[in-house]
Amino acid sequence: MIRRKKDGLQPLKRRDDMALIEMQCIKKDYFLGETVVHALQGIDLQIEKGEFIAIWGPSGSGKTTLLNLIGAIDEPTTGDLAIAGKEVRSLSDNERSELRNEAIGFIFQGFNLIPVLSALENVMLPLQIRGASLGEAKAKALSRLQEVGLSEFVRHRPFKMSGGQQQRVAIARAFVNDPSLVIADEPTANLDTETARIIIGLMRELNEKEGTTFIFSTHDQRLLDQVRRLVRLEDGRIVDGGMKR
Amino acid sequence: MIKWMTLAIRNILRNKRRSFVTLLAIGVGFTAISLFRGYTSNMYWGLRESAIRGEGLGHLTIYKAGWLEKGKLDPERYMFSRAEVDKITKLVTEEKEVILATPQIQVTGIVSNGITSTIFIAQGVVPQDDRTIKGAWADFRPVKGGGLNEKKPYGVEVTQDLARYLNLTPGKDGVVMTTTLSGQMNAMDIQVMGVYDSGSDATNDKYMRFTSDFAQSLLDTKMAERIVVLLNSWESTEKIRALLLTKLTHAGIACEMKTWNELSLFYSKVRGMFDMIFMFLFSIVLVIVVMSTVNTMGMAVLERTREIGTLRALGLKRRGVSLLFAMEGGVLGLFGSFIGVVLHVSVWAIIRASSPTYTPPGISTPVPLVVDLVPQALVVLMLCLIFLSLFAAIIPARRAAKQNVVDALGHV
Repeated sequence: MIRRKKDGLQPLKRRDDMALIEMQCIKKDYFLGETVVHALQGIDLQIEKGEFIAIWGPSGSGKTTLLNLIGAIDEPTTGDLAIAGKEVRSLSDNERSELRNEAIGFIFQGFNLIPVLSALENVMLPLQIRGASLGEAKAKALSRLQEVGLSEFVRHRPFKMSGGQQQRVAIARAFVNDPSLVIADEPTANLDTETARIIIGLMRELNEKEGTTFIFSTHDQRLLDQVRRLVRLEDGRIVDGGMKR
Repeated sequence: MIKWMTLAIRNILRNKRRSFVTLLAIGVGFTAISLFRGYTSNMYWGLRESAIRGEGLGHLTIYKAGWLEKGKLDPERYMFSRAEVDKITKLVTEEKEVILATPQIQVTGIVSNGITSTIFIAQGVVPQDDRTIKGAWADFRPVKGGGLNEKKPYGVEVTQDLARYLNLTPGKDGVVMTTTLSGQMNAMDIQVMGVYDSGSDATNDKYMRFTSDFAQSLLDTKMAERIVVLLNSWESTEKIRALLLTKLTHAGIACEMKTWNELSLFYSKVRGMFDMIFMFLFSIVLVIVVMSTVNTMGMAVLERTREIGTLRALGLKRRGVSLLFAMEGGVLGLFGSFIGVVLHVSVWAIIRASSPTYTPPGISTPVPLVVDLVPQALVVLMLCLIFLSLFAAIIPARRAAKQNVVDALGHV
């Protein structure tokens, strides 16, 4: 899969058999003053459509950095990354925004709901960013909220909801645009055991029902027990990436 | 669009105290400008009416070509003959915007009560035409006594301070003396028909009004110095000037024309001064509005950095983030202007109810303090402040849009 020439990397070219995510020799450096932090040090990874993957490893191993790159909200320092057949580096900022809106759903550890919007309005947001009509956005958002069991909370603002309910709204929001990929950064970290169990079950159900690819970063053993594939990171390198369950 | 507007309004209401202070700053600024604009609007109206009707300048004054430069040196050469007056009057009054055209002549000399003498400046006018020019202004500054009368050509009107110096009251007699156009001394008896207030300290002790026939007799001439034209509306002054100049030139009449504001130096200077004050005030308010909005929106960007990151992650483009914050600035301007309108109408109603008066410098009597309610000006000012707030918000909005998504999401 890795294509190299003597003098360096050969850029990824679009192929019909491409995986949903293709990463080739990805490096990511951060500059803290004069110090260079090598967050990722040569990642090669393929993720197929419909996978349910956990990225795990100790703190500072590069999990969040890797998810940021896969979510097209950050750029690698070197290496090639293709999402759904699109070479990320070649996309403009606007094109990347469109890619995120159309193909990627995000679930954050802190839920990241817009506090001035109700549950329904939060879920409608990605559709309205895309330019969907009010009626279409409302119908779809209501349907997604129903799927996550929050049809009675559509008018509630985030501050009137529990952590579990907020995370369910975030899941509905991540799914409302029918993305091919959902990225979740520590989605159960702020939740109690029972709520975490419900959230994990919900994500698993959506993965199985809709065939959406899920990629998590997590330390949560409850979640790790549920995934089909584990990618273990240490010091910015994949030390175990092929294990499938 | 409505969705984003709703989001903008809710975001503004998020920090109520800060938004309220900004709205109040915009509202008070709006009120200061609009009240001053309403005050100057009324003052300009008063000064305009005072010049056109009070001073009797009409809207346009026609002189024979060369009068303004050399008329005082050789008056007869640069005055209109009776035939010319008739011809001009006929041509001018053909225009439907023209109410009347009337000849006038100025006389300067000495007026005496038989014991004391002092200088005077008098306008010789056609009494009937003068009444038309005065119109409703006559009610504002009424003439004590009967006023000018065609049937009594030697009857004159005297300004109030001049009348007081010479102890001239309506019905009393006096003498006026001047040199005729040919340079001979001439004196004639007068009878005071009326005493009036010119409105200005500078002229209240020397102005008089004669009938045109009397002024011509005193100067020993049948000619007229100028022809004053009264129009339906002051707004058409420039248009009619151009039209009449062309028309009279084609008719072979060499003339020059001045508008009421060119002749009323007082109006021009006061207007210039108040326009300057208005610009000064507007600039101060502009700075306050811009700084308040930039501060509020800057704080909002800082507080909502994580939210901006979330919106960007969900696919909102940089332009969308800019637009959202700019819209919030615009909404601040809109609501601030609404507060301003409410304050303006409240102050306007209080002033209207209490009818305060004041005496401006150089003016002989107190005048009412009136603030006009000018809806057109309020709308323009409102649009002005909305766009100003919107543009002021663009600076922090652009900063928000340029933020790195990862950094924004990690902001605490």
